Order: sequence, then structure tokens, then C-alpha cells
Amino acid sequence: MNEITEVIISGLSSGSAYAMMAVGMSLVYGVSKVFNFAYGSFYTMGGYLAWIFLGGLLGSSIGYPATFAIVITALFFIGMGTEKFAIRPLRARRDWEMLAVMSTLGLALCLDNLYLALFGPFRKSIPPLFEGSVHIAGTTVAMQNVAIAAIALSVIAGLWFFLNRTKQGLAVQAVAQDMTGAQIVGIDKDKVFAYTFALACVLVGFGGMLLAPKYLVSHLAGWNVLVKAWVITAFGGMGSVTGAVYAAFILGMVEAFVGWQLGLTWTLLVLFAILIGIFIVRPQGLRGTWG
Amino acid sequence: MNILEVKKVTQRFGELRAVDDLSFTVEKGEVFGIAGPNGAGKSTLFNMITGFYRYTGEIIFDNINITKLRPHQICHKGIARTFQIPQLFLTLPVSDNLRVGAHFGAQSGARTHDVAGEEENIKEVIDLLGLSGKEDVLTSHLCLYDKKLTMLAVALATKPKLLLVDEPIGGLSPTETKQFMGLIQKINKESGLTIIIIEHLMKALTALSKRMMIIENGKRIALDTPEKVCCDERVIETYLGRGKHA
Amino acid sequence: MNIARTKIPRDLLILLGIYGGFAILPAFLSGNPAMMGILIMVMIWAVVAGHWDLIMGYAGVFTFGNVAIFVIGAYASGILTINYGISPWLGLLAGGVIAAGVGILISLPCLRLKGAYIALLTFALHMILEPFLKGGVGKAIGTGGALGLLNIPPLSIGGYTFSSLNLVPWFYVTLGISLASLFIIYKIIHSHWGLAFLAVRDSEPLAKSAGIDDYRYKVIVFGVTSFFTGLAGALYAHYIGVLSTRVLGLDLFLLLMVMQVVGGMGRFPGALLGAIIVTFADEGLRAAGVYRLVIFGAMVVAIVVLVPQGIMGAILREKGEGRGPRAPKLKLPPMVRSTRSGKKAGRRENRLEVTYEHS
Repeated sequence: MNEITEVIISGLSSGSAYAMMAVGMSLVYGVSKVFNFAYGSFYTMGGYLAWIFLGGLLGSSIGYPATFAIVITALFFIGMGTEKFAIRPLRARRDWEMLAVMSTLGLALCLDNLYLALFGPFRKSIPPLFEGSVHIAGTTVAMQNVAIAAIALSVIAGLWFFLNRTKQGLAVQAVAQDMTGAQIVGIDKDKVFAYTFALACVLVGFGGMLLAPKYLVSHLAGWNVLVKAWVITAFGGMGSVTGAVYAAFILGMVEAFVGWQLGLTWTLLVLFAILIGIFIVRPQGLRGTWG
Repeated sequence: MNILEVKKVTQRFGELRAVDDLSFTVEKGEVFGIAGPNGAGKSTLFNMITGFYRYTGEIIFDNINITKLRPHQICHKGIARTFQIPQLFLTLPVSDNLRVGAHFGAQSGARTHDVAGEEENIKEVIDLLGLSGKEDVLTSHLCLYDKKLTMLAVALATKPKLLLVDEPIGGLSPTETKQFMGLIQKINKESGLTIIIIEHLMKALTALSKRMMIIENGKRIALDTPEKVCCDERVIETYLGRGKHA
Repeated sequence: MNIARTKIPRDLLILLGIYGGFAILPAFLSGNPAMMGILIMVMIWAVVAGHWDLIMGYAGVFTFGNVAIFVIGAYASGILTINYGISPWLGLLAGGVIAAGVGILISLPCLRLKGAYIALLTFALHMILEPFLKGGVGKAIGTGGALGLLNIPPLSIGGYTFSSLNLVPWFYVTLGISLASLFIIYKIIHSHWGLAFLAVRDSEPLAKSAGIDDYRYKVIVFGVTSFFTGLAGALYAHYIGVLSTRVLGLDLFLLLMVMQVVGGMGRFPGALLGAIIVTFADEGLRAAGVYRLVIFGAMVVAIVVLVPQGIMGAILREKGEGRGPRAPKLKLPPMVRSTRSGKKAGRRENRLEVTYEHS
């Protein structure tokens, strides 16, 4: 009984972190139809930045709160820069979607190898946010896992609030639903694209920082994250934020159970098998709509 | 003789019935107009007839049940269409756009490829619609009117028995509108091609159509000659209004 | 401006010109096996990049499975020749056929999917392949697990067995296979298949309503491109002699994508030009050591943003019109080069189109 609870809690914990990251991808796709192939590299960026400021490079840590602030700010501006220089110039062209993938692919290649060059091939560890463990439902859970879940869920809640209760958030939704209509009422779609993209980078980089104590930081980790976020987003329906959240938890649980019963190497296979199944039955995902 | 019979068809998007238990028939050789408020289900109906959507009910074309067929098969049976938002092969010149229709639509399944016949077909359509001289222009370079003409040309190149025209005059000037509608009329009169046309512009639609159908909320609320339809109480209530516009 | 059609179209001219040049190079390279080796790889990558461009650039199918298909062809031929003793030449054919089979299989769930979803599904093939090859099932069919295949027999003609000491026979066999594979692309894009691919890419709804069976052509393009990609993979396996799952690393994937972009997507023979440039650039950057791929990645972003039409696009003088890959002339009745009439009228397109209600 204990084992199952552990598995469930682990699934929830990872699921919430994945949810936060997948939501970013789904949001960007829904708003601007951009698929950021360097998403994983931004995840890793969060991890390495955290490592730098939490003692890895300078020897002494400046503490979590300050590091959070640095990671969020850095990722925000780098995200804005990426959108402005590597994606926006492409929009004028008919085949921009494919070109955007190529461009972000190049960026991923560049960033991943930059990390390798700067930080070396060995994985880095960073100290966890909270030490120790806690008793939940008759089993021991690492505080870190609880913290991850709690923080990720708060971020998602905050995002929901932003999208549905603030003027800027509604502008984002407007652009996602009808670009022309949004422009007619005066919304600057370029700004929305830029901020949404930057927001997604912040979310995924933040996730990188949150999960770093658990999974260590490596220049190769990003691809796994990209694929998982992608699977979750497609499963939930590209462009649907709620879909991404549902999908993340479902898939987080599936991953936890499959990992427990069959071993980690099978998880990816099972996830893809489910994805293929979904594509046959409902090609647009759980909550997605075409277009 | 009925060339098209639509029998109690329904199309749902989730809970919403875009087309609700709709039935009507179209006679061979007539121009059949469809109008109605926005979102009434007109374009959806076209998508159903041409196989882009699945639906319940039946559609019989030229005595063949086309309900379960895919779009390209329906094209081979003889139905062609245009789209409300102009669709074209933008990286190809006008002649190659038509060639797609001529080769894959009109000639598909032919045992031997009749190159000469295909070229003749393309030339005929280009001349008919007044696109001569523009054969080699990339369609992405065309003005809106010519784009719409080319899209119509592609449909005609498939040698259809029934042509569906979806809101063709959006964005055109009054002169262009008159020209385009004139073309539709000419095509119908000269070749006897059955045409179903969706349009908002009542003046043009009533002038062209032999019979008209008004759809609202997926349901048919009137089907008759234009004069009778425009006087129908329910149509005036829901669509035309009482001003001088109708 | 009327330009009468030249006897040999420009794209074919470039293809034949480059391979003609390749054909005489060994005479000057007898003391330089390294360069010969590079050129052999260029010709192999040209096939993979070229067919990837056929399905992505021309047919507009966003697929990420071509490296996986390449590896499947390679392993298929390797396993069959090592474990079942068939001739490596048959192995090449088998590699192509088996790869084509996989390609067709993977195309089926993709038929109803759009864009990014197809990319995801085909990328899944790529990601699943490594654990599969290394794992129990893989070992059972002879993949050699993590170690891979170590003694893949080289090609042989008559009594002569190819070896790595004399690259000339390899060079010419590769040249023949590569040229044939690319020539097939040329024939396809100038045929009605090509017209169908372009039509579905440019406007699937119009293509379908004009009588094109989109499912059929998607399966065809997957099948054809997978065959030649697998064939190239099999050739690679016999040439290199060893094969492991390292080939599935993302480096190769990214390099092949870059070749297409640099060369010009959907603009034959852009991929060939891309293969040449990228392979040599890759070699040239080895001096940068650990920063090689960093620079490469940055270059890719720069090229995509600044010259998105690629080299071939620049040669065709597209000047980044914003219209994406342009279709080649069809082999049907002689046509005159397109004139630019209607350009002035074309400016009207940019305005927002609003429907008027006239009374």
C-alpha cells in the first residue's frame, strides 16, 4: 500500500512540474503557432543558472529567493530576445512555421553545446529547496517533492488567474482565439507574441530550476523535457492550457506507474503508444481544436 | 430531374448542431441560391456535401449515394466547389493550378493520360473566364478578383456536373461583383451546369437563382422562388429586416 | 521578360554538373584519402537530405523520422548480411525495402494528423528506436545491443572485395547510387506526382476538392523517400563497416536539417548544395574544438533568419519574397518563364478583406 502511495505522490509531483512546463508550450503554440525546438535548452538554462548562483560556480550560495529572481529575469529577457531575433523576422514568409522550427533547432544546438563547453560533460547537482521529509497518507515523502508540487501548482493557478482575470491575460486569449479580431480592437499582437514566448521560457526555465535538485543538471536533459512537454501538449490538445494540465497529470501518473512496474526504459514507449492511440481516436487531443 | 438530394442531414460540433435535420433537392441545370444569417450553417453544408465533414443522414448525387465518400472521390463523381476564403496553390502559376483540376479531377482514373485533351480543357476554362494572358503568372501575385477567378477555374477544370460556389464576392468592388455574377450566369446558361451558390448579397442572389433556400441555425426556414422567399414572414423576421434593403 | 526554355532545366544542370565534377575528382585525389572519404559521406548525406527535403520541402509533410529510417535501413542490411549471409548488394536493396515498409507503416497514423503532430509522431519513432535496438527484442533479432554491429561485410564485385585501403571503388559506387537517388527526385518533382505533392502542400482543401487523394500521395511520398533513405543507410553500414546506436544521436539529425535549410528547402537540388557546404563546414570547424557546434548552431540561426530561401533560393533569385519554395516547371507542354504581370495589382492583397453588404 505504501508503495502505491509513493508512486502516486511521485507521479503528482512530477506531473505538476511537467504541467507547468507543458502549459508554457501549449500557450505559445495556441497564441502564435510557434513550436520552440529549443524549449529543452531553456529548461537546462534554468538548471545551470541555478547551479551557478547556488554555490556551483562561486563557491557560496546567494540563496534560493535571489536565485529565483535571477532565473526568472534572465529567462524572460533571453526569451524576448529569442522571439525578436530568431522568430519574428520569419513571420513574413509563408513557410515560417517550418523555418521557426529550424531556427530554434539551431539555437538548441548552439545552447546545448555552449553548456557542454562552459560547464563540462558531468552532471551538476544543486542543493534542494527543502531538506527532510514529511508524513503524508501513511508514507514518507521528501519535502522537496511536496515543494515542487506546491510551487508548480501555485504557478499554474497564478497563470490561470492572469489569463482569465487580468486585462493582459485576456488580450493573450483574444489573440489565441482570433488574431484579426484582437488586432481590430487594438491589441498589439506582436507584443502578445513576444511576452507569451518569454513567459513560456520563464516557466520552463523555472521548472528546470525546480527539478534540478531531483534530476541533476545536464546538457542532454533538455531533449527529454522537450519530448515530454510535446507529448503532453499534443495529448491535451495543442493550444489548450487546461488540456495540457489534465494531460500532464494523466501522463505523470502513467509514467510513475509504468516506471514502477516495468522499469524506466518502458515509460517513453508507453507514452508514445498512448499518444498514437489518441491520435487515431481523437487527432486533436483531449481539449484541442484544429487551427 | 433532381441532381442532388439532401436527406435529413445533421452535423454536430459537440453540442452545437451546425446543420439540423436539413433536407432539400436541387434540380439539374438550375441555379440554386442559399442565404441566411452568419453562422447559419451554410458553409458547413458545403463541407458536408463535398465530404469534408462526416454527418448523419444521406446525400444522393446523380443517383449515387455520396454520404460516405471522401472529397476526392466526390470530385470524381462530378461535384466541384470554391471556398469562401480563397484557396489556391500559391507557389504555382495559374495554368498549373488549373492543371491540378484537369489532371486529377477531370482525368483521374483515365486509362491513358490525354495530354492534348487536358491542355484543351485548361485553355477553354482560361478563355471562358477571361484569364488569357495570365497563364504564367504566379497565383500569389494575382489581385483578389483574379484569385477568385482562378479558384473558380480550378473547379471548372474538373469538368463537374454540379458546382458549389461559397460566398464568392466578399471583398470585391461593385463592378467586380457584377462581372463575377455575370460569369456565373453565363456558365449556367451556356453549359447547363447546375450551380448552388451561397451569398449574402440578396440583390445578386435573387437575380441569379431559380430557387432559393434560407437557412437559420442549421434549419431550413424557406425554400421557394426568390420572389416568394423574400416575402416570407419568417425570412423577413430573422434575416432580411424590414428596411429598404431586401 | 520572355526567356525561352533552355534544353536542360537549370536544376538538372546543377545536379549533373556537380556529379560530373565529382566523377573526375578521384584523378586528383589519389594522395588524399581523407578528402575522398569526406566526398563519399557528402554523397551519402545528399541522398538523405535530398529525400528528406522531398517529403518536407516539396510535399510539406513535417516529418522527423528520416534519421530513424536511415538507421533502420543500415541495421537491416547489416543484420541480414552478417547473420544470414546474403550478398551486401542484396542487403542494400533489402535495407531500402525494409525502410520503405517502416516508412509506409508510420505514414498511416499520420494521414489524419497535421503539422506539428506528424513531427511529434515521427520523432517518436526516432526516440523509440534507440532503446529498441539496444534492448532485448533488438538483441534477439541481431542488433548487437549497445555494442552494435561490428563486422559488416563490405561490398564486392566479381572477386574483388572493397576495402578501406582503396576508396576509389567505394567512391564510384556511392556516386552511382547517390546520383540515381537524386535523379529520381528530379523526375518525381517534374511529374504529376510532384504536382500532387505541391498541391497538397499549398492547399490541402483545394487539392482534395480538385480530385487528389491526399492519403494516397502521403503514403507514396513516405514510401519512396524511406526507400532511398534506407538504401543510403545500408550503403553507409557497409562502407563504415561498424554500426551502433550512436548514429541516432541528435548531432546527425541536426546536421541533416541544417543541410536542407542552407541549401534551400523545397528547391532542388538545394539539399545537395547543403550537404556539400555543411559537411565541409563541419570539417572546417573541427579546429574550434569544443565550440564547433556552438558556432554551427549560431550560424544556422543566422542563415535561417537572414537567408531563409537558402543557397538555391538565392541562385533562383528569390530575394526572400516571402512566398516559400516555388514550384518547378512541369515536364508537360513547353511553358515560357513566368512573367510578372499583375504585380501592381498584387499590392492590393495586403489589405484586410472586409465583406460589404450592399443594398
